[in-house]
Amino acid sequence: MMATLPRPRDAAAREVKVDVDIAHSFGALCVHDGLQFAVRENEFLCLCGPSGCGKTTLLDILAGLLKPTRGRVLVHGEPVDPKRHNISFVFQEPSTLPWLTVRNNVAVGLRIKKRPEAEVRRVVDDILGVVNLRGYEDYYPHQISGGMKQRVAIARAFATDADVILMDEPFVSLDQPTRERMQAEVLSIWERKKGTIIFVTHNLEEAVFLGDRTIVLSAKPARILADVPITLPRPRNTLSPEFMRLRTQFASLLNSALPSRSGR
Amino acid sequence: MSGHAPVLSSVRAEPQEPAPPAAVAPSGPRARSRWWTVLWNCVSLAVALVVWQIGAAEYHSPYLPGPAAIYEAFIDLARHGDVLGNSLWSHIWASVYRLLVGFGLGVVFGVPLGLLMGLYNSVYRNVRAVIEPFRFIPPIAWIPLAIILFTGLTRYAFLIFLGAFFPVFTATLIGVARVEPIHRKVALVYGATKAYVLARIVVPTVLPDILGGMRVGLGTAWMTIVAAELTGGTPIGLGRMMVNYSELLRIPEVVVSMVLIGLIGFVLNEILLLLEKYLFRWRWQVTL
Ligand SMILES: Nc1ncnc2c1ncn2[C@@H]1O[C@H](COP(=O)(O)OP(=O)(O)OP(=O)(O)O)[C@@H](O)[C@H]1O
Ligand SMILES: [Mg+2]
Repeated sequence: MMATLPRPRDAAAREVKVDVDIAHSFGALCVHDGLQFAVRENEFLCLCGPSGCGKTTLLDILAGLLKPTRGRVLVHGEPVDPKRHNISFVFQEPSTLPWLTVRNNVAVGLRIKKRPEAEVRRVVDDILGVVNLRGYEDYYPHQISGGMKQRVAIARAFATDADVILMDEPFVSLDQPTRERMQAEVLSIWERKKGTIIFVTHNLEEAVFLGDRTIVLSAKPARILADVPITLPRPRNTLSPEFMRLRTQFASLLNSALPSRSGR
Repeated sequence: MSGHAPVLSSVRAEPQEPAPPAAVAPSGPRARSRWWTVLWNCVSLAVALVVWQIGAAEYHSPYLPGPAAIYEAFIDLARHGDVLGNSLWSHIWASVYRLLVGFGLGVVFGVPLGLLMGLYNSVYRNVRAVIEPFRFIPPIAWIPLAIILFTGLTRYAFLIFLGAFFPVFTATLIGVARVEPIHRKVALVYGATKAYVLARIVVPTVLPDILGGMRVGLGTAWMTIVAAELTGGTPIGLGRMMVNYSELLRIPEVVVSMVLIGLIGFVLNEILLLLEKYLFRWRWQVTL
């Protein structure tokens, strides 16, 4: 039965999910001066770049929250629209809604998408277990810690079965063990449910550990300095020589991306 | 630095954090301190009354009645009504009813207009010169005009409306500016409509400001109603009753009216405070 065989998970064979060709300026400040790339179905893309180069701005544009001054973002060949496409976003800033309990915060996306209440309950219970927040369902954000709030935001993003998940340095406020746990959880959810993830991080080890591919951006106006597929087999061993080699390569790229002081 | 691989394999086996205490009900120390607060308020009230009584006894003048005389006057009013045969309750109810109508109108117009002008700030910017001067005309300054233009309930409702509208309107308007862009983004990214953002993001953010504005507006409105009743045009209402007795130089009844005005304002304010406490459990209480 050839027809029922699953398609091979070969990057080149997968279709394009997100197609980006944009330029953006805030007034006179040019942030993106022509940025072009495509993300494939079920790809885990990591974005690295110096602080202030426009990564958050790029994600806002990808989510359809911000209109680029020029160009377009296509999701499945159509202009991106949060009402039509199933998008999730883990914001860099704290983003829990203070007037909702942990449970209702996690349920926000599902409620907006008008899922039946029984399903909301089941999904939220499930995902709260994954981010280790069981028992805190009825707490308000001001009663939990910063890292816990971030886990609420992560849970909210994974509660809706999004096709495109945007994550903006989601783990910076977590301690190392929790961070590693969350990385593993994100990977296991992604491997289970699939979906396209675009993940911004400053942490190169994180990028090499998580991504199918990493894009390194220059300081603004941001250009793509490198677009490197990472083919290491999963689960990846951070101590393996190949891992170290990639990590070092990105580090030197990122160093060269920083605006040189003497250049001003 | 530790490797990732071992963590990955042990993820599922990792023990969960111990369960936290369920929800955060105000029990234990907090509930106890609330009883202490009530107790202390009773004590301070009792002390104030005793001091007043001693002072009154000292002067022994009909123009300076003590709490005992006031209480007697109150009982008499409550039992037999006033000199014109109106019951005390009809006076109280007349004033409260006028307040509820005028205040209700103030909220019904103040909140949506505040939201609208807050959300479409350009509208507000362009009509500022029309709206703002009205804010600085005290409601009592409208009394002469209201006497000429309106009669009965309309007159009082109009004056109270003026007292309640601006605090509610201004508080709502300012509150809208406090909506955090990130909270809007959270809703929008999941495909929320404008109506959803308004109802589920803007309104919850602004609600504390609205309630605050309502408490200020309630104070202004209640002061306005009494002033409006003082000027006449009605046989009943707490303000009217007070004037009637002052013309008879019966001080205890005048003071009864004053105390009732103060108490009713206090109770209405407490009701709003309770509502605030219930609605805004999510808010971090600021203490110094
Ligand atoms: N709303 C805005 N108006 C004007 N300028 C903005 C706005 N948002 C961002 N910028 C500017 O755009 C540039 C890129 O900002 P952005 O937040 O995208 O950076 P980033 O790459 O996410 O940085 P970081 O890694 O520090 O989070 C910055 O120079 C910032 O000052
Ligand atoms: Mg950023």
